[in-house]
Amino acid sequence: MLRHVVGQSARILDTNLVCASTNLQFVRWRRKPRWLPVAKSKRFLVPERKPQDSDERLELLRLHNNYRTQLRSVTSYLMKEAEVNRKTSTADHLVLTPEQEEAEFQKCVAENEAWNAKIAQEREARLQKEAAEREAYVARKLEEARIKQEEERERIEEIVRLEKERSRSYITKENLDAAIDHALANPVDHNFAIDLQGNIYRGRDAGPSKPGEKSAEQAALTSGS
Amino acid sequence: MSKIKYIGRTTDFKGKTLWEIVGNLKDFGVGRVIARSMFERYPEPCFMRILKVQALPNEDPRKVRVTVEKTFRGRTLPRPTEICSTSYKADYKLIPKSEEEQYCKITSAMQERILPSTIDFPPLLKEFIVEETGNQNPVLNIHFKERLNKYCRIAKEGETPNVKVTMGLGTPASPKLYENVKL
Repeated sequence: MLRHVVGQSARILDTNLVCASTNLQFVRWRRKPRWLPVAKSKRFLVPERKPQDSDERLELLRLHNNYRTQLRSVTSYLMKEAEVNRKTSTADHLVLTPEQEEAEFQKCVAENEAWNAKIAQEREARLQKEAAEREAYVARKLEEARIKQEEERERIEEIVRLEKERSRSYITKENLDAAIDHALANPVDHNFAIDLQGNIYRGRDAGPSKPGEKSAEQAALTSGS
Repeated sequence: MSKIKYIGRTTDFKGKTLWEIVGNLKDFGVGRVIARSMFERYPEPCFMRILKVQALPNEDPRKVRVTVEKTFRGRTLPRPTEICSTSYKADYKLIPKSEEEQYCKITSAMQERILPSTIDFPPLLKEFIVEETGNQNPVLNIHFKERLNKYCRIAKEGETPNVKVTMGLGTPASPKLYENVKL
């Protein structure tokens, strides 16, 4: 369906006939979309039934009845034929006498047994190999575990030994008073600073050193260097 | 009086659902006669006499299970029929007691249709069968399914069928349609 573009383009159409073909546009969706409800003007519209011609109806009824009977008759005939064919034909299987059948069966049994024996032999060999591999694996793992345990015990014993050595200098209840006395007698002053030259500047107890004045250590260090 | 406005599609049905009828009757209308408006197109009388009514759970309120003695096109079926799945159709009507006798008078009955037991093969299939079996006149047994409500059967030995089933076009029911056609 084609529709002329109205307004601005229509005026262009008048003035410039060359581009007339470009001012045509196709309207693809002419119909109401499915999801919109019935139009208001059509809401109460009850569509009229077109009466069928009775001659035509009768003839069509007869033809259809005839056709269905023909088709079903032929179908059932072909199905019966196929069934009979399936039952009687020997195309898909061999027909044997009971003796032949027995012989065939015995042959099959013998072959099957031979296969079974061969596979049993292979299986035996495989199982033996697997058992040996498993045994070796377990032994290796046990040895590894034993070595690891020994190493661990040695490591722990070393720790215990070191700790025993260090316990000699521990402060206990017995020598607590002596340790306190010793600590009081020898105060340690950590409040100092060191510069890049190794000079020590004492802080709190000695008092901050005044500029130009050197502490004992500093003097010793500088005199030594 | 309000104005009636019809909405939607046209329908061939005319009447009420079966429950709308039997639900309002004494003893659920057992013994009364109902009819389908749809079957009034036949010249022979079609009606149903209610024998038993069973209400159903309210899942589908339009349905009811009714056992009827059915007379279709002047022939009363040998067994009672059960109406359940079609009971929702708004096409039933109740025949008033005063009109029952008049309505149920069987003046004419549908003729039993007798089909031929065999028909011809289609031409090409016939050729194949003649070639394969050497039988010059193979006949095809007609397909027919026995049903209680079918008033139709296959012709017995020595009986003449009254319905013609042929492999070709057959005799037209309305020759008017074929007036200028060479058959």
